[in-house]
Amino acid sequence: MSLMRRFLMVIMVFVMMAVAGCRSPQPTYHIRSDIDFSFYKRVAVMPLKNLSNDQSAGEIVRDVVMSELLASGLADVVVAGEVDGAIEKLGILSPTALSREQIKRMGDIMNVQALIIGSVDQYGTARTGQVSSPEVTITLLMADTDTGDIIWSITTTRGGASFMSSHFGTRSETMSETVLTVVREAIQTLAEY
Amino acid sequence: MQILTEVAYNRHNFKIIKIIRVLNEDMMEKAGTGKKTYSAVWLSILLLCIFPFMGCKGGIKSYTRPSVQIETIRKVAVLPVENYTTEKFAHDKIRGIVIMELLSRGVDVIEPGEVMNTLRELRINRIDSLPLSDIQRLGEALNADALVTGSVGTYEIKRGMTVTYPEVSVHLMLLDSATGDIVWSVWHTTGGPDFWTRHFGAENATLEETSKKVVKEAIDTLF
Repeated sequence: MSLMRRFLMVIMVFVMMAVAGCRSPQPTYHIRSDIDFSFYKRVAVMPLKNLSNDQSAGEIVRDVVMSELLASGLADVVVAGEVDGAIEKLGILSPTALSREQIKRMGDIMNVQALIIGSVDQYGTARTGQVSSPEVTITLLMADTDTGDIIWSITTTRGGASFMSSHFGTRSETMSETVLTVVREAIQTLAEY
Repeated sequence: MQILTEVAYNRHNFKIIKIIRVLNEDMMEKAGTGKKTYSAVWLSILLLCIFPFMGCKGGIKSYTRPSVQIETIRKVAVLPVENYTTEKFAHDKIRGIVIMELLSRGVDVIEPGEVMNTLRELRINRIDSLPLSDIQRLGEALNADALVTGSVGTYEIKRGMTVTYPEVSVHLMLLDSATGDIVWSVWHTTGGPDFWTRHFGAENATLEETSKKVVKEAIDTLF
């Protein structure tokens, strides 16, 4: 076997190993097909429910969601203070579990067409053998403030060391990068729609 | 150069000439003298060059309100930054870097002490969630075109199994003091263990250097 063929074989095996075991972590999402999303010009991001062990995970992910929504150009986002003020005004105790009526009233007070509600389900480091890697799972929902209906929902997750990172020591993701990727993937589903 | 061909006929009886090999005479010579190992060396170098870049992240994404001309904002007040980290003074350090960066770009920044005094005078306690009325009152009292606000999400030296590395993430926003609208927003992070640090023990950036880098790159998207 010529040297070049041996090289090709090595490269082929290398590529196959890298691809083998790919999980394709596609986010699970739902979009109401009868909705025109160009109508939602102004949205409010509610405080996210923190189901992780990290005390600040909810606030961190909320900031990223606000920033990425703005950066995507999909909608204008209301400042967090306005949202917190409206929650206080309506005496809402659990901003992550709103009734239809509360959604409508929040929309009226802040003059927004939709609310983003959600939770941080996982925010931490997973250890597999000698390798530790960040792991983030978020759930986001968009509720129409006119009707109170859920028009978009998504659960997306990211984590685990990649093949290249664990075997060849290529650059691995930090926690912040994982959060950013997860949120970007989620908002991308809206942008693509 | 030598071209080796083979004449054949396809099923429609067309004559086709297959070029079997195009060989450079030098290559042929080398092939016979055991210099094939050069290919292996080149391949190794190529892989070594590719590995450090694998896993590189995408660029920074920011938002700037289309209807606002950023050049018209000349005087800003940098509000205290919210701290979501376990590092006690991370927010103060980031705030200081933001002020320095803005000043270095010719933006007039109101003295931080004056900002704190005004916050006390106006009895504004919750900086992380300023309602529209407070934004307007602050802007008026400080005579500022815009307010810079934000948070520090991560500010620490992360310790892995075999490597330590700095990680800093910030969220910065510019609020129009007249309307309370978000004029500019960016969430940015930097740090992480790179190939050279993990394998060759190359010196990593310090936490301070990483903080300066993340703030500079974030503000680069504005001015």
